[in-house]
Amino acid sequence: MVKYGKDLGAAHSGLSDWYLQRVSAVILALLLPWVFVLLWVLALDGLSQQALFALLDSLAVRIAHTLLILALTIHAYIGLKVMIEDYVHTGMRVLLMGMVMVGMGLFAIWWLSLIWAWGG
Amino acid sequence: MTIQLNIYRFNPENDSKPYMQYYEVAISKKGMKLLDALNDIKWNMDGTLTFRRSCGEGVCGSDGMNINGVNGLACITPVEGLKQPIQLRPLPSMNVIRDLVVDTTHFFDQYRQIKPWLQAYTPTPEHERLQSPEERVELDGAYECIMCGCCTTSCPSWWWNGDRFMGPAVLLQADRWLKDSRDEAAGERLDQLEDAFKLYRCHQIMNCMEACPKELNPTQAINHIKRMLLNRQS
Repeated sequence: MVKYGKDLGAAHSGLSDWYLQRVSAVILALLLPWVFVLLWVLALDGLSQQALFALLDSLAVRIAHTLLILALTIHAYIGLKVMIEDYVHTGMRVLLMGMVMVGMGLFAIWWLSLIWAWGG
Repeated sequence: MTIQLNIYRFNPENDSKPYMQYYEVAISKKGMKLLDALNDIKWNMDGTLTFRRSCGEGVCGSDGMNINGVNGLACITPVEGLKQPIQLRPLPSMNVIRDLVVDTTHFFDQYRQIKPWLQAYTPTPEHERLQSPEERVELDGAYECIMCGCCTTSCPSWWWNGDRFMGPAVLLQADRWLKDSRDEAAGERLDQLEDAFKLYRCHQIMNCMEACPKELNPTQAINHIKRMLLNRQS
């Protein structure tokens, strides 16, 4: 049901979400397949634990890994935010968006710390 | 030969809830359109059936309705080929005033919000503001819109957030003025549209393109506005 309300003008929002969603999608399309390749190789016993750690600790892989996690969290955050904007119409909207933002932020910090702080 | 129709009926003065009413109409001529059948019912069977219609040839945009689940104009939809009984309902997500007549107040209020007229600030030329044939071609695919509302009322984003999302028809019109070489208010127009709800609720579901009786592509127009906003910022 359409609600009638005052036109409050434009919030000058949305463009950055739309743009980041697309940029992060490109990064994910380029990097995410390698995760599955790695899992596949591991499942076939093609890589020892030592070799895996050495691979993950290399600078290039750490940088790619960081990009992947940033793109993943940004993409997931905006995706969930858009869904909440679409379907949640009460005051819950702001609360839910905040919770998703904090959750995604914590996830990114935790994972990035695994990549950079506690490696070999 | 007859055609069968199931038509949504609701008169808020008498009915507590809507119901579907069955009619049978004789096929009166070759190439008979759905509006001919509705007129036949109205004039010869049941004068209480209420619907909007005017030009009868897909120009005025009055008789937009939901035909077998798809929005379209009754006057240019041939009855031949439609699955029977033909299910006729008012345009979705708008308040029903009576039978197939819906309240378009909010829809046209949104249209007014985008200021759908030429805005130019340079001194008026002696004769007229000229446009080259090439600049005029830019408006093809946008000027044909008759604001029948078939696209906007088929858009799930407008169903869920129609209070703020402008909807495909209005955004197609907004793009029409952004593309007009004579218009000088592109900046203000973009300012007014740059909003997560007014514009970016469009998720390219493309129901609008499927529904448009004039075979226009509002999704493409919305993407064009998004690209203009991106270009302005980058």
